[in-house]
This record gives sequence, structure tokens and C-alpha cells, in this order.
Amino acid sequence: MPGFALVNHKVVSVPVAPGREVLAKRGAMLAYSGDVRFRPVSGPRPGLGGLVGRALSGEAAPLMVADGSGQVSYGYAGLAVHLVHLDGTGSLSVESDRLLCHDAGLQTAVVFLGQQGGVRGAVRGAVTGQGLFTTQVSGVGDVAVLAHGGVLELPVGGRPVVVDPQAYVGHVGAVQVDVSASVGWRDAVGRGSGEAVQLRLSGSGSVLVQASEERF
Amino acid sequence: MTGQPLGPSTLPHNDNVNPYSYNIALDGTWFLRKGAMIAYYGQMRFEALSSVGSLTGMVARQFSSPMYTREWVVATGQGSLMVADRGHDVNSLDLEDGNLTVRASNLLAFTPDLQLKQSIVPGFLTLIGTGTFLASSNGPVVFAEPPLRVDPQALVGWADCPSPSHHFDAGWMSDFLGAAQGLLGRQSGEERQFDFTGAGTVLLQSSELVVEDPALLQQITEQTGMLGTGQLQSLVTTLQARLQGAQQ
Repeated sequence: MPGFALVNHKVVSVPVAPGREVLAKRGAMLAYSGDVRFRPVSGPRPGLGGLVGRALSGEAAPLMVADGSGQVSYGYAGLAVHLVHLDGTGSLSVESDRLLCHDAGLQTAVVFLGQQGGVRGAVRGAVTGQGLFTTQVSGVGDVAVLAHGGVLELPVGGRPVVVDPQAYVGHVGAVQVDVSASVGWRDAVGRGSGEAVQLRLSGSGSVLVQASEERF
Repeated sequence: MTGQPLGPSTLPHNDNVNPYSYNIALDGTWFLRKGAMIAYYGQMRFEALSSVGSLTGMVARQFSSPMYTREWVVATGQGSLMVADRGHDVNSLDLEDGNLTVRASNLLAFTPDLQLKQSIVPGFLTLIGTGTFLASSNGPVVFAEPPLRVDPQALVGWADCPSPSHHFDAGWMSDFLGAAQGLLGRQSGEERQFDFTGAGTVLLQSSELVVEDPALLQQITEQTGMLGTGQLQSLVTTLQARLQGAQQ
């Protein structure tokens, strides 16, 4: 069975079949052929106490599930689409509003950043403007991620990779994310380079970086 | 791409300069949407459709879409005319004795051997005949074949197939829980679709909020003439609710 396929850098084509439903951002369907129905569902499945967590975290993107059988094209607001294939060994961490669509068989969970890196994780969330929560996708299947501009996938391992917080999209695998700040007196007087706060990634996996510092 | 600056002799003739701009080797007349021109070489005039006396005949023959006359100009003369639209991809398409309907806000320019008419579907224009036109799209255009259902915002246009009909997908509401959710205003966001059947080609782009089309407002306003007082009253209520939602 063929998986997700990019039609061009802004549109992804996805097969839907019984037993192979697809979860997608609400309103992201462009076109479909065959007999497909769209049903609204809520965001990432709540875990223990997830309902409260979701309400607090803002990581409850409205989703819809496509079932039936056919071929669906997804795209959203002209943003670039990047495909990630998860083989079950690593999970993808990304903000929930960047998830365009993914196999319904994948597990999604809202994760408190403090769990990943203690206080530093929480600081990262605050600094990058992502908030204190992120969405983790795991299992075997395909995920389509939205980004402003194109996406680079940089391997992480051996040497650490440093990324601008605004250009950071997400990461795959066992990757540790730390905030590294080099704020000096120049920043205090407004003569900084504008790159004082950076994300330092280490471990093994890869990081997704967008070619723009614009949020959407 | 080389770093060489482009001049009137090095610009491509009737071809894309890059994905976002197109160079028309003008020798005669083109219809052009206002604001589509970004630069030109040579001698050319841009005349508003509504004001010109000399062009009245041609306009009457080829541009039978009075609602859009204020949005369009006629470019006449010789030279190189560069066209672009908001950094979107510009596509040049040839029509051979055919018809193609395109979203009015995506149509940038067309040769006067094509006839322009208003489509039955509000906000769309139909081109008939043989000629060339330029249309913009967010990302490359995806060509698809019917039978196909399309999100209205993602639609760029369609060629050689019958006009679409509306398809309302509310199948998920059929069970009791779904019906209750539906009453509470829960939507999948994809209830309204355009349904294409028959032979032809459908043109799609990555979905986005389309630019406001002043003619669309005019068209809808004209149609409210068919409504009675009670219906107008309820329309006002609906619009106020929409406005409040938009302002939040």
C-alpha cells in the first residue's frame, strides 16, 4: 500500500482505506476522489488527566478524521509541507498546529516540556514562544508537517546542532533540546546580533528547520 | 539562474522569468488585471476599460463581464511587460477552441482573442475561444481529473467539464451523538465541497484565504433582490453573528 506522497511542495496526496484512516487539521482538505467522509474529532487523545492538560496547554488543534476509501489531497494556507516517516524507533516532537495530517494509527500525546528537560525544558518553551507543551507523535506511519518556507532536515549526532528558536519546527528521535543564551551587555543596550537565544540539540536523530523565522 | 541583470534583449519572450513573474512580449493588446503589472520596457499605454471610447467596440465584444470592468485595464503597444501577483506562482496556459473557468482573483491577464464571461458560480470567470492567459496560484497548480470533490477555497478553476454542484458531507451526523454535536455547531470544516463529474480537468492550489473580490460582493448584493423582508431580516442576523465572530 503506497503511503503519503508529495504532489508539490505545498500539497500532499494521501490514500485512505478501511483500517487506514487519516487524521488531519480541520479545513485542510483540498480535494478528494472516491468515497471519503470527514468527521470532526478533538485533538491529541488525552492521556491520564489529559482533558485538563489539553485545556491548559492549548495543544488541542481541531482535527478531522477521513474514512472510507479514496485518495485525498491536503494542504493548508499555502504553507510548505514536509513528510516524516516514522518507523517506530523514534518519535516526532512538534507543535500540534503544525500537524497537517498523519496516519490515524499513530499515537499522539501532549507532553509537558518540563518533563523532557526539567526547568530548562520549561524555559525553552517560554523562550521560543511555543508554550510549555508540545505534541509527541509515535508509532509506525507517515506524518505531514507544516512550515513557513521550505524545510531542512539536519541530522543530529556527534556534534550538537544549534538552531534559531523561530526557525525550529520539531525533532525526530532521541534528541535533547537545550536553550543556550549568550546575552551580553550589547543585547542590553540594543546592539545585539539578534541571535542571542539559540536552541542546542544533541543526542541522535534529526531536527526540522524551516527557511523562515515567521510563525503562523 | 545566472546573476546577469535582465534587459529588454535578454528577457524571455512570452515565458516565465522565474516561477513568480512572467514576461509578456507585448505587440498589440492584452487585457490585464489592475495591479498585475510590475515593470515594463518600451512604449505602452494602460487604459481603463470603463473610460476608453476607442476601445468600446472591442471591449463590448470580448469583455462581457460588466462587473469586472473596473478591475481590468487594456495594455496596448510594443515592449516587454512583466506581470506578477503577491509572490504566487504565475502560470501561462493556452486554450485551443475550449473553455476554462478560473477564479477571478487568480486571473492576471489574457489575450483579446479570448472571450471573457461571468461564470454561474460567483467569483469565477469563464474564458472561451483560442488564446493565452495568465493565472496565479499558491504553489504549483495541481491538475486533477473528475470525478473529484474539491474544497471551494482550493479551487483555481476547471476546463472542459460541466460547472460543479455543491456536495454537503454531513454523513457523520447520522448517528445520535453526531446529530447532537451538529446541532451544537460542531463542524469538520469540510461540509461544503464542490462536486465535479464528467470529462475535463480541475485546477487546484494549496488552500488559503482568497483575496477579497469586490465584484463578488456586488454579485451577492444583486441576488438579495430576490429575498423578501423576513428573509432579509434573517440575513442581517446571520451577518451580524458572522461579524461578531470575525471581530473576536
